[in-house]
Amino acid sequence: MPFKHLTNTKLSENQVTDESLYINRRQLIKSALTVGLFASSSPVWALQFTRNNQYSANLALTDPEHALKYNNFYELGTDKSDPYRYADRLKTDGWTVEVTGECLKPQTFNMDDLYQFTQEERIYRFRCVEGWSMVVPWIGFPLAKLLKQVEPTSKAKYVEFVSIYDPKNLPGQEYRVLDWPYREGLRMDEAMHPLTLMATGIYGKELPNQNGAPIRLVVPWKYGFKSSKSIVQIRLVEKQPTSSWMAATPSEYGFYSNVNPNVAHPRWSQAKERPLGSFFRKPTLIFNGYADQVAQLYTGMDLKKYF
Amino acid sequence: MNSLWRIVLLSLLCSIPALDLGWRFYHFDLGANPVETLQHTTGDWALYFLLATLSITPINNLLRPRWSNFLAMHLTRRVLGLSAFCYAVLHLLAYWFFDLELSLPLLVEDVLERPFILMGMLALILLIPLAMTSTAAWQRRLRQRWQSLHKLVYPITLLAIIHYVMLVKADLFQPLLMLLIFSVLMLLRNKSLLKNLSQR
Repeated sequence: MPFKHLTNTKLSENQVTDESLYINRRQLIKSALTVGLFASSSPVWALQFTRNNQYSANLALTDPEHALKYNNFYELGTDKSDPYRYADRLKTDGWTVEVTGECLKPQTFNMDDLYQFTQEERIYRFRCVEGWSMVVPWIGFPLAKLLKQVEPTSKAKYVEFVSIYDPKNLPGQEYRVLDWPYREGLRMDEAMHPLTLMATGIYGKELPNQNGAPIRLVVPWKYGFKSSKSIVQIRLVEKQPTSSWMAATPSEYGFYSNVNPNVAHPRWSQAKERPLGSFFRKPTLIFNGYADQVAQLYTGMDLKKYF
Repeated sequence: MNSLWRIVLLSLLCSIPALDLGWRFYHFDLGANPVETLQHTTGDWALYFLLATLSITPINNLLRPRWSNFLAMHLTRRVLGLSAFCYAVLHLLAYWFFDLELSLPLLVEDVLERPFILMGMLALILLIPLAMTSTAAWQRRLRQRWQSLHKLVYPITLLAIIHYVMLVKADLFQPLLMLLIFSVLMLLRNKSLLKNLSQR
């Protein structure tokens, strides 16, 4: 019975207004499994985790059928259906994450090392820059815990994330749609923020490949592309890194990319979002609804200028 | 087979993508982002039909004269052009209804603020007179001018492709492929080039 921890959890999600989107969690996970959405070569043991109720807002979860099959993961192709279709082209065995740069104890972690951190489940909102959104139960641990282990020096002002580069296997990397490998970055205080998660699982199981297996970043108050998938290297650096999207289109994708209904993307408005599975849009919240926890990081900053 | 039957049959063929969308809409089977599916699919088909409309003349010129009568090219082209118009209207409705809830001020604001929407809108507006004058009666009434009026389909298709190029995030493959096909179809309208091709 791999889902023992899920029994007897009294849920608050059913208090939300949108009944059509609500399915109880056990059903959710069961349906996700039966449909075989987790087509990853996941290890034989089940991911052990506990639910962190502090981060389980009163939100209706997105149907995993959507969250696991509608993805942006350009390494596997630019169509939303490509990542799920070509999921098996992502090779994750023997995965390591190198944490290096301005720190006293640089270290390379394998997945067993990373599973040593207490894995917790958190329900987060997720908002894509394209204007769609979802609510997902991630499993993972705060990035801060990982960074503290390598003891960053005072020179570590920023953190850079580098994703997998494997053009032999990844169909999307045959083309220079973006400058591979995919790179992203955070300011040190953003990286150390308790909301910033290194995710190893979703919907009660290991991350399937299309969602960025075996380990990815989740920064819930920023647009989705900031949450790098399939990370192989984390670098502590002194200067602000240039992300892949910044390099591709600097006028449209900035370093901060905080979710903000008042700052339009040059080509479309960001005032509203369409939750996956619904026909109509709803208003987007400043910092994706996490303003009370993160707004102080940006005190005095002009969010239009630092978009 | 008389021409009415041809028109009916071809129209039915052309409406298959729309019927498929309707069927999937009814069964809640449009994927995670149903509105995006509606918008993208109708937009894609509007463009496919525009390019199909533009390929009639080159096909006619290359296959002449054996097949063109059999295929009743002028009728085929009319149905294809009207299909393009219908899909473009569906495309507008999918956007106006689901994104803007049929608000006219929001639509005007979007057209003025977002160049890619302006391009698409221009293409659609220019299609209206072509759709209205697509009948044989109008063709007779306008005579010479009908020809020049319907040459608007060239800039319309280009505007639609530009609209597509401008809305893509990073992967320009599809819209540029469309641009390539459009360019080839335009080149095949060049009489001297065609002469060289047929003399080979």
